[in-house]
Amino acid sequence: MTSPASSSEVKYLIESSEGNTFDVSGAALRQSNTFNAMFLNIGADGPIPFTDYNEATLKKVFEYCEHSVNEENYSGPKHQDDLSKWDLNFFNEMDQKMFIDVINASNFLDIERLTSYCCERIARMLRGKNTQEMIKVITLPTAEELEAKQKVEEKKAAAAKKVAEKAAETAEKTETLEELPVQQLVQTTRNKLTRKYLSFSNE
Amino acid sequence: MSSPFPLLRLPRLVLFDVFKSLSIGEKIKLSFCSKKVSTQINNARLYSQKVNVQLNCLRQKISVYTENYKNSFEISIYSDSWRSHNSNTDQFSIACCTARVISISKGVQICWKNHQEGFLYVTQHLLKMFQCTISTKSHCYGSDFFHPTISMLFDRQVEFKRLTICLNGSKDQSLFWNQISSNFGLVEYFRIESVADPAFIPVFNSWPQKIYIIRSDWFTLESLLACTCTTITLWDSLLGTKDLDVILRKWKAGGFANLEWMKIQSRNIENNETTILGMNLMELRGMVIQTDDGSKKATINTDYGRIEMSVISI
Repeated sequence: MTSPASSSEVKYLIESSEGNTFDVSGAALRQSNTFNAMFLNIGADGPIPFTDYNEATLKKVFEYCEHSVNEENYSGPKHQDDLSKWDLNFFNEMDQKMFIDVINASNFLDIERLTSYCCERIARMLRGKNTQEMIKVITLPTAEELEAKQKVEEKKAAAAKKVAEKAAETAEKTETLEELPVQQLVQTTRNKLTRKYLSFSNE
Repeated sequence: MSSPFPLLRLPRLVLFDVFKSLSIGEKIKLSFCSKKVSTQINNARLYSQKVNVQLNCLRQKISVYTENYKNSFEISIYSDSWRSHNSNTDQFSIACCTARVISISKGVQICWKNHQEGFLYVTQHLLKMFQCTISTKSHCYGSDFFHPTISMLFDRQVEFKRLTICLNGSKDQSLFWNQISSNFGLVEYFRIESVADPAFIPVFNSWPQKIYIIRSDWFTLESLLACTCTTITLWDSLLGTKDLDVILRKWKAGGFANLEWMKIQSRNIENNETTILGMNLMELRGMVIQTDDGSKKATINTDYGRIEMSVISI
C-alpha cells in the first residue's frame, strides 16, 4: 500500500443518498468548487456525503468530470454547436428526469462547465420559438409545485450545511497537525484517506 | 426529452444562467408565458445583459438592443381596435394585463386598449426584466405620451443614454423641465431642439454629461460658465467674441474641469478688434492653448461665426 505518486491519482469516497459509496479521482472531484471550498486543503475523514443525490446521478456527474479532466481549463460558456461528440452523446443518452437530477447535482457541486452546458441545452429548447410554442415546451408549475420546490431548496441548504459541518469536523481533527507546512498537511491527509480507501476496498 | 420541461423547478442560479443564455427577443417572448415566468426573469434582472431601450413614441415602437447592436428586438404597440392580417394572434399576460400578441420576424406586435397605456406598461415590463439605459428617438417629443413616459422613467431613476426634447410652450412644460433638469445626473447625452416660448428660460439644476442645443439663443454666458458637461455644442447662440474671451480665460484658470470638446456657433462671433486671450478670432485659428497649471492643452479652431475647442489631457 504505497502512497500515490501524484495528487491526480488520489481517490475519494463519495456517499450517495442510498448510503452506497464509490470512488472518484481527485482530479475529477476538483472540478467541483463545492468540494474545493470544503475539502481540498483539509482532506476528508471518511466518505464525502453527497447524500441528497442518488448514486446514478452522482456517477453520471463524475463521469463527466472524469472525462473533462484532460480538457483545457474552462473559459466560460460554450455554444451547444461547439460540443464534442462525446458531450452530445453524454447529454442525449439521458432522459428528462436524469437530466434534471444532473443539473441539480451539478449546481450543488458547483461544476461550472457541466452546469453551463446544461443551461445552454435548456436555452436551446426555447430558441427560435414564439411565446405559444415556448408554453408548449415548458411546464408551468402550480402554486403547490412552487411551494414544494422551495421546500426542496431548503432541504438542499440543510444538506449543504451538513457537508460543511463534516468539513469543519475534519478540519478540527487535523488541527493537531497544524505545525506541519500546508502542503505536507494536505499530503498527510490524502495518504490517510488513501489508506482508508484501500482498506475499505480490501474489506 | 419530448415531455414539457419543468423550467421553473430548476434551482434559482441555474434558471438565471438559462435566461442569460437567451437572446433579448427570446427572453421577452418567454416573459409573456406566465406571471410566474415573468417574475423569475425579473428576479434575474441584475444578472441579465445590459440593453438599450429606444423609445419611439411617435410610431409607438420600442427597440431593445445590446450595446454592440448584435442582438435586437422590436416591440410595436397597436390599439386594440387594430386588426392584423396575421392570424397568429395569442393572448398573454404582460405587466399584469392581458394583451394580444402577434409574433413577427424581428419582434412582436402588442395590442393594447390604448397606445399610451400600452407604451408605458411595456416599457415598465422591460425595465423590470433588463438593466436598461433609455434613448428617445429624435422628434418623438411631438407625441402626446412623450412627457408621461419620460416623467415615469425619471420617477424610476432610469438612466438615459440619449434624451431629445423640445420645449413647445405647453402649460406643463415648466413642470416637465423642472423634473428633468433636477435629474440630469441620469442623462448621458441631452439634446434640446428648440424652446418655443421666449418667456420661458430653462434653468439647469444639474447637468448631463453631454449637451447639444440646436437653437441656443436663450443659453446665456452665465449658464455656460456654470456648465459641467464633457461635451458642449451650441447652435444659433447669441454669445459673442467677448464672451469667448471670458470662457477661454476661465478654462485656462482651471474652470470647465470636465470639458473635452466644445463648439459654439453664433452670428456674434466676429473677427473684429475684440480679442480673445489677446488675439483676434482668426489669429486664434489652429492655436494650442494651455491651462495655467500646465495640466491640459486644447486645440482651438475658429472660423467666422464659430469656435471649436478640443481638450487634450497631458
